[in-house]
Amino acid sequence: MSESAAVTTVDDLETGKGPSESLWGKAWYKFRRDMPGMVSLGVVGIYFLIALGVWFGIWGQGWSDNNGPMWATPSSEYWLGTNVIGQDIFQRAIYSTRTAFEIGLVVAVLSTIIGALLGALSGYFSNSWIDEIILWLMGVLDSIPFYLFVAAIAFALQGNPYSMHVAMIATFWTTTSRLVRGEVIKLKNFEFVEAAHAVGVPQMKIIFRHILPNTNHILLVQSTIVFVGAIKSEVILSFLGLGVSDGVSWGLMIAESTQDVQAGHFSNFITASTFLFFLVMAFNMFSDSLQDALDPKKVH
Amino acid sequence: MEILQYSLRKLITGIPLILGVTLISFVLMVYYGPDKTYELVGKNPTAEQIAEVRHELGYDKSFVVRYGEYLKELATMDFGYSDSTGERVSSILVRTIPISLALIIPGFVLGNLLGIILALVAAYHRGTWTDKLIMGGSVVGMSISFLIVIIAFQIIFSSSYGLNWFPVRGWEVYSFMDYLRYVTVPTLATIFVSLGYNTRFYRAVIVEEMGRDHVRTAKAFGTPPTQLLLKSILKNGAIPIITRIMFSIPLVVISGSLLIESYFGIPGVGKVTYDAITTGDQPILKAVVGLTAALFVVTLIINDIMYKMVDPRVSLK
Repeated sequence: MSESAAVTTVDDLETGKGPSESLWGKAWYKFRRDMPGMVSLGVVGIYFLIALGVWFGIWGQGWSDNNGPMWATPSSEYWLGTNVIGQDIFQRAIYSTRTAFEIGLVVAVLSTIIGALLGALSGYFSNSWIDEIILWLMGVLDSIPFYLFVAAIAFALQGNPYSMHVAMIATFWTTTSRLVRGEVIKLKNFEFVEAAHAVGVPQMKIIFRHILPNTNHILLVQSTIVFVGAIKSEVILSFLGLGVSDGVSWGLMIAESTQDVQAGHFSNFITASTFLFFLVMAFNMFSDSLQDALDPKKVH
Repeated sequence: MEILQYSLRKLITGIPLILGVTLISFVLMVYYGPDKTYELVGKNPTAEQIAEVRHELGYDKSFVVRYGEYLKELATMDFGYSDSTGERVSSILVRTIPISLALIIPGFVLGNLLGIILALVAAYHRGTWTDKLIMGGSVVGMSISFLIVIIAFQIIFSSSYGLNWFPVRGWEVYSFMDYLRYVTVPTLATIFVSLGYNTRFYRAVIVEEMGRDHVRTAKAFGTPPTQLLLKSILKNGAIPIITRIMFSIPLVVISGSLLIESYFGIPGVGKVTYDAITTGDQPILKAVVGLTAALFVVTLIINDIMYKMVDPRVSLK
């Protein structure tokens, strides 16, 4: 990635004067004036702090203790009541925040990296055999029904707790890759690439140091979309029994709450749904505002 | 004639895709999939009995031979008998695919139609509070998990805590009234979940088309709004719309209904496939995956032909 561009961004962030001339400076200037965007970033930040607190063992550690009464109503001891085996619903929801961030971050970062690398290669070598192979691979992965693919990977990896992550990464990178490919095809005809060729910069350096950093805005927006997609998929996969197997997640809580609901206890369901909803909602809005700030041509 | 030639050429270029999908699925689901041997042999089996069962299931053959046999099955559309129930795979599919289609089509069609209508309203009132309300609602709709919608709708419509109007689960359809009773709640859930995404997508397409020069010119010439909408806006926006609808079809047929089918206990093809994965019923898996891949290639071809129909400039060469 280009270090000089990153430095300018940080400077803009701290000085906070009028819009700088760089894409990132302008974007940050625009984003700061976008109320829903700033609020949603704040909400995501709060969730991230909750997740950090769980990582450092500050809260949410009693999520698996099952010494409470069955289906207790909310009280000062159990803030949101307990589930069928007497576990504290509030603590479980807090701990699940960590699970959600782990899944979202791992899947978003890795699928973005794979998508960027393969997309850049196939865009730069468009219409060659490299491009053909990468396009074929994307076509194949997109044609396998997602849930069947996850189930198949889960069984092939014999209960490995990361089989869900692997399946999501293996399927989510294709969208990023297609976007990067399109952008790189456009960029490779620009003069700066021609200039780099002329002074003899090696081909791989041109692709990954000169062209790819110019797609960073696409990668950033796309990774927020993947993050949301991963969290939402986790819920459905955990319900189908293909998701989180060690620990607890909102998906598992919702899955186990179907029994509670039949018995008329809604706390588990409502708590997990609410936690999930506000994080996904904030991330969706953040992603929208980010797109608005980074894409000057976007039509409203 | 041109279309026929084009389709044949595309079918041939679709072969690598089908090979890729079948190969990856074969490796994952069949080669490394669950082993059924010990379910089928009796108690305290001898080594010969185990070998015999493994031979029947084809486990003793080499990878290449097994994959080759699969391709032959796919080409002849004869997948043999299910390992679990002994029923012919083709008869299972003939029984379950119509159920899945009957379950998913109303929600799919209504979700897209409502999406287009809401998008038109939002685009027409662009920038006003109507637009903001609709688009805000879309983001909220997009943020609610499908699973939450299904559970919540079941509580509201099918449980004694709510309205209790519809059956909780199952699929005992003998008449049109039965069909409506069982299909309503799943359909409402499907519409609710897809509406946010659809509205946003269609609004983006419509707004983009509305800003084009020819639309402004047509407006200046006094073209009536309906004609403007149908001829200048929707016709030009047809390509992204067709792409979106066409490409959801293969996935909607198989996995779109999986969650609904497993939650509502409906014996459609999604449920059958899911059960086949978890139990290792290879003939069914092979059939479903192979057919999905073939459906994808056919969809790609129909998609390109439809491009040509809405936009004569598109060349099928």
